[in-house]
Amino acid sequence: MSMYVSHMIGTQHLIMSAERTLFWENESTLIVADLHVGKTGHFRKEGIGVPQQIFKDDLHRLLSQILFFKAERLIIVGDLTHSVENKEMGLFRRWRKDFPSLYVHLVKGNHDILDDKWYRETEITVNAGQYLEKSFLFIHDILEPGLKATKGQYIFSGHLHPGISIRGRGRQALHFPCFYFANNHCVLPAFSRFTGTYQVDPKENEKAFAIIEKEIVLM
Amino acid sequence: MLRETKGYKVVTEWLAQKGFQPFLFQEETWQHILDRKSGLVNAPTGCGKTFSVFLGAIIKYINEHPGDKHPPKQGLKLLWITPLRALAKDIGRAMEEVIGELQLNWKIGIRNGDTPLAERERQKRQMPEVLIITPESLHLLIAQKGHENIFRSLQIIAVDEWHELLGSKRGVQVELAISRIAGSLQSIVNSSEPIVDSQASRPTTNDSGLSIWGISATIGNLDEAKQVLMSPLKNEGVIVRSNMDKRIDIESIFPDEIEKYPWAGHLGIKLAGKLIPVIQQSRTTLIFINTRGMSETWYQTLLNICPDLAGSIALHHGSIDMELRTWVEENLHSGKLKAVVCTASLDLGVDFRPVETVVQVGSPKGVARFLQRAGRSGHSPDAISKIYFLPTHSLELAEAAALKKAISQKIIESRPPMLLCYDVLIQYLNTLAVSDGFLPGQIFKEIKDTYCYKHISKDEWEQLLHFISAGGKALTQYDDYKKTEIEDGVYKIKSRRLAMRHRLHIGTIVSEAMMKVRFLQGGYVGVIEEWFISRLQPGDVFTLAGRNLEFIMIKDLTAYVRKSNSKKSIVPSWQGGRMPLSANLGRVLRETLDRKSETRRGKTGISEEEIELQVLEPLFELQEKLSHVPKRNELLIEHIETDDGFHLFVYPFEGRLVHEAMAAILAWRISRIRPITFSFAMNDYGFELLSDQPIPVDDTNVYELFSPDNLLADIQRSVNSTEMARRKFRDVAVIGGLIFQGYPGEQKKARHLQASASLLFNVFSEYEPDNLLLRQAYQEVFDQQMEEARLRDMLERIQRSEIIITFPQRLTPFCFPVKVDSMREDLSSEKLEDRVRRMQQQLER
Repeated sequence: MSMYVSHMIGTQHLIMSAERTLFWENESTLIVADLHVGKTGHFRKEGIGVPQQIFKDDLHRLLSQILFFKAERLIIVGDLTHSVENKEMGLFRRWRKDFPSLYVHLVKGNHDILDDKWYRETEITVNAGQYLEKSFLFIHDILEPGLKATKGQYIFSGHLHPGISIRGRGRQALHFPCFYFANNHCVLPAFSRFTGTYQVDPKENEKAFAIIEKEIVLM
Repeated sequence: MLRETKGYKVVTEWLAQKGFQPFLFQEETWQHILDRKSGLVNAPTGCGKTFSVFLGAIIKYINEHPGDKHPPKQGLKLLWITPLRALAKDIGRAMEEVIGELQLNWKIGIRNGDTPLAERERQKRQMPEVLIITPESLHLLIAQKGHENIFRSLQIIAVDEWHELLGSKRGVQVELAISRIAGSLQSIVNSSEPIVDSQASRPTTNDSGLSIWGISATIGNLDEAKQVLMSPLKNEGVIVRSNMDKRIDIESIFPDEIEKYPWAGHLGIKLAGKLIPVIQQSRTTLIFINTRGMSETWYQTLLNICPDLAGSIALHHGSIDMELRTWVEENLHSGKLKAVVCTASLDLGVDFRPVETVVQVGSPKGVARFLQRAGRSGHSPDAISKIYFLPTHSLELAEAAALKKAISQKIIESRPPMLLCYDVLIQYLNTLAVSDGFLPGQIFKEIKDTYCYKHISKDEWEQLLHFISAGGKALTQYDDYKKTEIEDGVYKIKSRRLAMRHRLHIGTIVSEAMMKVRFLQGGYVGVIEEWFISRLQPGDVFTLAGRNLEFIMIKDLTAYVRKSNSKKSIVPSWQGGRMPLSANLGRVLRETLDRKSETRRGKTGISEEEIELQVLEPLFELQEKLSHVPKRNELLIEHIETDDGFHLFVYPFEGRLVHEAMAAILAWRISRIRPITFSFAMNDYGFELLSDQPIPVDDTNVYELFSPDNLLADIQRSVNSTEMARRKFRDVAVIGGLIFQGYPGEQKKARHLQASASLLFNVFSEYEPDNLLLRQAYQEVFDQQMEEARLRDMLERIQRSEIIITFPQRLTPFCFPVKVDSMREDLSSEKLEDRVRRMQQQLER
């Protein structure tokens, strides 16, 4: 058990972090999914007083992960933002402008509904459906109809907010977010901590790495 | 004085024409109403309690307007709060009959979720003299602009079935509504006073002329029930008792042979055949089953045994489609149904006159509930209520004896009112904010006058105001929070969208996450809990509303099914609804068992009423032979070793919730003596600790292990209160407006606002641990889930009693049902039945 766990796919070296990021070492790239920037703000605008601190913490965590790995690029596999524009996105833009050298690449997800102008002004490169680099294919939702991965390609996706439960006595169960590795694809945990989880059930040749507090645990 | 008034003469003449004369308690109430007093009328259902208050209002009105039969429209005079929509129609009809025959120019209005918009608009223009309303609709009325005007002419607020509302958050809603109405009437009085009147001479009691009358069945804390209602008026009020005892005839249905090793759940069904003659002999029978799942099974079983009943027997529970339930209720009314299998869903409601007989299957868990159910039959003041008790295991027969005793001694449960419900208060403040807005100073004074919030601190109040106006902690510069805004000191919700959403969410009844069930070809069956459906595979067959249904798929939050002819089906087990044995019934049960033990020693004879105990004699004999039958001042503990390991059985008879908490605490305390792990099981009579090594409990340490010292600290260390609070938080969060339950039309738009209660619980626990709603969830766990006060009482009782530790060579009749319950989790029901039968055979050899 530790905070970082290595995982090889072919010749490519990946490092899972308990802060819900995946570092692609060969390319100095940090991969994340489902940031849902503006979600607390969206709730608050509708009169639901969720503490905003959780959003600020998300940004701090992302910052320290970028610094820790010395990442040169950030790939977001969808759902960077949660809904329509609000003030919290202003804070995100300020945060982003503090790293002019960081290249930010978004593969759009179902929540990414802002105008092109916003992405341009926030200096984010956007792909509508999928993005292919070497043998890695980045998309938002693995179940998206019309998705075609050719043989030899490995997919990284988000959307699902995968989680895994550990059952205890008396019908009690604890749920944890996880990295989910299948044969030809990986589903990343949702980066934002203001998200729920969807329970996955790994098959025999699949692997799930649960994130339990500050540790990564192979289930 | 009353008898000389014109109103009294008119009303009594009218009654006499119908062949009635007023009961004493009615006249007493009328006099109090004329004297502008407030209070509580205590009368059983079907004894004219409605007329005690309603005719009082009429007499008062006639006296105030003698000779004038058609005065102009007066505005609202009497506000009649009722817990059930279904009751409103019935009461409205009865009232209209009186008005019509007395030729009074009054209008009776009904306002609840079913009231058509046009009617509501009419009411807005001209309020009827009498308005019958539910607590939720009353809050909706308060959410209207200019609500103070509606109540200007109000003289009497009647709260019907107050015992049902008290003890729930709906009761708190009633308290808040009364505080607002009393407050607004008082401010009218104050504003019309001459200005020379200084602060010092301001009267301390409410002198607005408003009377409040509660109407309640007998409960253990009638005086408190009255105080809660009177609190905003700051006067004492009176209690009027009807002193009319309804005669109740209780008869147990006995199995042909008493099982010495009883276990819950299967005996009942075996006795179903004995119900057929009961059903056939009476006009209409209500059969009360404790859980929705079992009611489905019973309905099927009765039909299987007696196919003739098809068409004249029906099923009624909370998960069945509303339309179908209404159909059942209507046919109960008209006497077309011979029998209805039902759950607590028919505890309350209109009187079904054709009902002659009631059957209670399994423990009713409390005296009040049993009385209420018995009262569903024989619905006229002098009729006898007939109730059969059908045990689901033989030991429950002792409960029947205890019930009889408790009823004859009038030992009836209390309904403790809920205190400091921040969730309801947040909702209420937002309700005021969507009407005309509110001034915190004035409203704080009003809510401080309620029973529920009299101990709220200024700090907590400020925290609530901050929560609704600023949304708790925020990053000011990047915040869009919007709900209640402050304008010239007035708290208001100005956004129309937020206001509308709030109106749609007024209420404190939070349903489980439910899913609709529909036929593929169209047609609605009912609702079922999401978690149950989520475990089904397509093709699985389950039972709902008495039908076998094949699960096909889930689409758009609906489960689609088709009819199935399969014999095998899964009966859903609905969460919740498993009430623990009440403290009162537990106590009487301990006394009943004690009497039994003395009788066997030949000290007293058994009376005819306790025939159940005679029938149970073989079971008690075996219990005594193997172990001991505890007396009232004894606590029995049994050490038994079996192939499964070392068992410790303890029998406090305090209900399963207390036992659950106690088992955890005891396990924790024992594990400090020596490292040891346990599994637990419990039922309403006792609990079990099971370990793979001997359990170190003996005469030297047992009093220490059951000590009330350090209870709170030990609870926190042993019971997983966080998980319990997480579950409670859902209700609190829904009522407090943090979670939107979908509603038609906005489901899609609100999708980006979905967050599970569990997620919100995590977020608040981490970032705002002092949040009041979070604190409330924990408090509710302590008060309701663990019944902390009762736990403490039990430990103090045990300290004063004698603890008897026995070492039986094999399982005893007392421990058997607990043991079977503990196997239930791991085994399917068929395997369970097999295994239990083998165990019984071995033990009875």
